[in-house]
Amino acid sequence: MMRSIRLLVAAAITLAALASTGCVAVKPWERDLLARRDMGFEPDGLEAAREAHIYWSKEASMPGGSGGGGGCGCN
Amino acid sequence: MRTRFLAPFLLLVACAWPATALALDEGDRAPAFSIPSLFGDGNIELGQYRGKVVYLDFWASWCGPCLKAIPEIEEMRGEFPEDEFQVVAINLDQKAKKAMRFLEKNPIGYPSAADPKGSLPGQFGVETMPTSYLIDRDGVIRYVHKGFSRGDGSRIREEIRMLLKEQKLGKN
Repeated sequence: MMRSIRLLVAAAITLAALASTGCVAVKPWERDLLARRDMGFEPDGLEAAREAHIYWSKEASMPGGSGGGGGCGCN
Repeated sequence: MRTRFLAPFLLLVACAWPATALALDEGDRAPAFSIPSLFGDGNIELGQYRGKVVYLDFWASWCGPCLKAIPEIEEMRGEFPEDEFQVVAINLDQKAKKAMRFLEKNPIGYPSAADPKGSLPGQFGVETMPTSYLIDRDGVIRYVHKGFSRGDGSRIREEIRMLLKEQKLGKN
């Protein structure tokens, strides 16, 4: 019983270790493709502004932006 | 018992640790580089500008503030003596034609290298786009400017002026 729990814990740690290597941070200079407007959640600027306005009206806060457009992550 | 779990725990931490390079800062020596020119006219080396104050600018066509900075940098270039001050740009577009398309409309009079794989920003530890480095005549980074917004040009000019003046007096 004890042995199988240990094995289970070891397997869980190994899987977590392997999964964590999949998390790759995009470096500031690697945003070329991500900065394309069509990579945004809503590529149409007018539609995105309309949705943002609806969200703002309902929630009294601004929604998070997407990666499309400038995408330089500065300022 | 405790040590038995320590090893996998450390492995987990090591795997999850972000692979971030240390960013170079003021006082650090700028790494030497030799990178192909964006315009296809040979390589651009930092060493060839030794003895001049160098303004090294990392830019890309997809980065709005980078494009805003370029006309200002071009203007700045003409304000300082050519034999003392040099602007060098490093373009980070994955496809050079995007950069060239921008430069056709906004020509620059200073060299720009093309580093599509981003090896140089990795060495400098660029944290945001654009980032520019003011390098003194001895190859030491003296000022790091992150991002670019209206009014930043005067701050950069002031730093260049101070560095040119200081080094003329032999304070370095």
